[in-house]
Amino acid sequence: MKRTYEEINAKIQRGDAVVMTAEEAIKLAESNGIEKAAKEVDVVTTGTFGAMCSSGAFINFGHSEPPIRMKRVWLNGVPAYTGVAAVDAYIGVTEEREGNGPPYGGAHVIEDLVSGKAVHLRATASGTDCYPRKDIDTYISLRTVNQAYMYNPRNAYQNYGVATNSSDRTLSTYMGKLLPHYGNMTYSSAGQLSPLLKDPTLRTIGIGTRIFLGGGIGYVAWEGTQYKTTPPVKNDVPVGPARSLAVIGDLRGMSTEFLQPLTFTGYGISLAIGIGIPIPILDEDIMRTAVLRDDQLFAPVFDYAIQSRNRKPIAEFSYAQLKSGSVELFGKKVQTSSLSSYYKARIIADRLKKMIEESEFMLTRPVERLPEERTQRALDVCSREDVL
Amino acid sequence: MTKKKIKLYFQPDKVNEPITYHLVKEYDIKFNILRAVVEEKGGRLLIEVEGQPAQISKGIAYLQSIGVDVKEMNEYVMKDVSRCTNCGMCVSICPAGAIEMDRETWEVIFDQGKCIACGLCVTACPPQAMKLKI
Repeated sequence: MKRTYEEINAKIQRGDAVVMTAEEAIKLAESNGIEKAAKEVDVVTTGTFGAMCSSGAFINFGHSEPPIRMKRVWLNGVPAYTGVAAVDAYIGVTEEREGNGPPYGGAHVIEDLVSGKAVHLRATASGTDCYPRKDIDTYISLRTVNQAYMYNPRNAYQNYGVATNSSDRTLSTYMGKLLPHYGNMTYSSAGQLSPLLKDPTLRTIGIGTRIFLGGGIGYVAWEGTQYKTTPPVKNDVPVGPARSLAVIGDLRGMSTEFLQPLTFTGYGISLAIGIGIPIPILDEDIMRTAVLRDDQLFAPVFDYAIQSRNRKPIAEFSYAQLKSGSVELFGKKVQTSSLSSYYKARIIADRLKKMIEESEFMLTRPVERLPEERTQRALDVCSREDVL
Repeated sequence: MTKKKIKLYFQPDKVNEPITYHLVKEYDIKFNILRAVVEEKGGRLLIEVEGQPAQISKGIAYLQSIGVDVKEMNEYVMKDVSRCTNCGMCVSICPAGAIEMDRETWEVIFDQGKCIACGLCVTACPPQAMKLKI
């Protein structure tokens, strides 16, 4: 069985493509077999809704009168980076508001913009002959700015480690609150619904791939930062963090239903983003991985009490085990928690399915494939000569 | 037997009163201290009491008679459903088993009745959907 992007898109255009969420495709393959399922289904949709710290948005504010070349800029008190052209800035989601007060950061600024609120803009400059103005204090909204688009250097991680804590104090981490003496365990992947687990070698997800991003339409821009292909695999899927995506998409069209600022007490701020990616069923091979179930997908467990990049996995569990609510670790029953919302992941996979069924979302062949081999490097303290 | 959660507020001059002793001895009330704060302005105590309804009422009347401000609590932690993403971070944090994941719908179910108002879920909740009301 072979199917081309053109054939799938022609069916989508006619409104008769067979689209299923990964959960539905799993059920179909279980009852009818992978061969039949591949014949029947054109597209399998995936979804994830989790903390994606490596995210932010570029905004062009437009020029003031007289013009300013911004050197420092704050959005609702949150510093943004403006070391680019005069009125361009990048607001990162983890950047925090200066001063005291309730947690508020770049993620909240993006939420406020997307929900249509006015955002306070303050900028300072040194003043030049071409940009004489030295400061500005005003308000912006998505209605007033020129471009406002998300550009996220690392999203949709292909699998991720599970966190626990052997120490005798509670740890505040980006994996949430970790109770002492292996008091709990947190995981972050959506497992059987997670996009990059369903096409593990990224045959169909590459540069230019159209995706569901934060409720709107986005595209894969590049390999994500820390993209790597080296973790061990089980059932063709990496066990542990491997590939990732850099994605881009207009803030206009996004929805706060799929963007949620997160506060990790004692750690900082992040943004939960909803991402959905369609998997075109080009052949049986891609269907085989698209219907991998939670009991066939595994994640390593790391002890966050060990503050080292070299910590080794202390255990490994399937997502079926993790999602059951508790696992057994060193003879002790340990409760598990998810950091990503499977509830929302389902909604995203379903929303994307409907968009494709209603001919609102066409599939794209990658302009370029992402690297087939990539190792991850570390940062060491070196001399000038060492790095050459 | 009924169970109730009550919040007590003491003026500074009442902090030496052995009220819990009286509650047990005179009114046969079982109680569990959920939260206690003592500061210059007085003390606050959140307790769960268990006993015969009539005895509980009498116990509360006794507390009021000695000048303790008593407030019955029905809701200690409030879940803002518009912020909750149903991730489930709070599920493994809750020591009282008051928060569970419905594995059919993947929604987080919060059982107010089992809540002991410890507040652990409040700081653990990434979207800050859990708010302590006391």
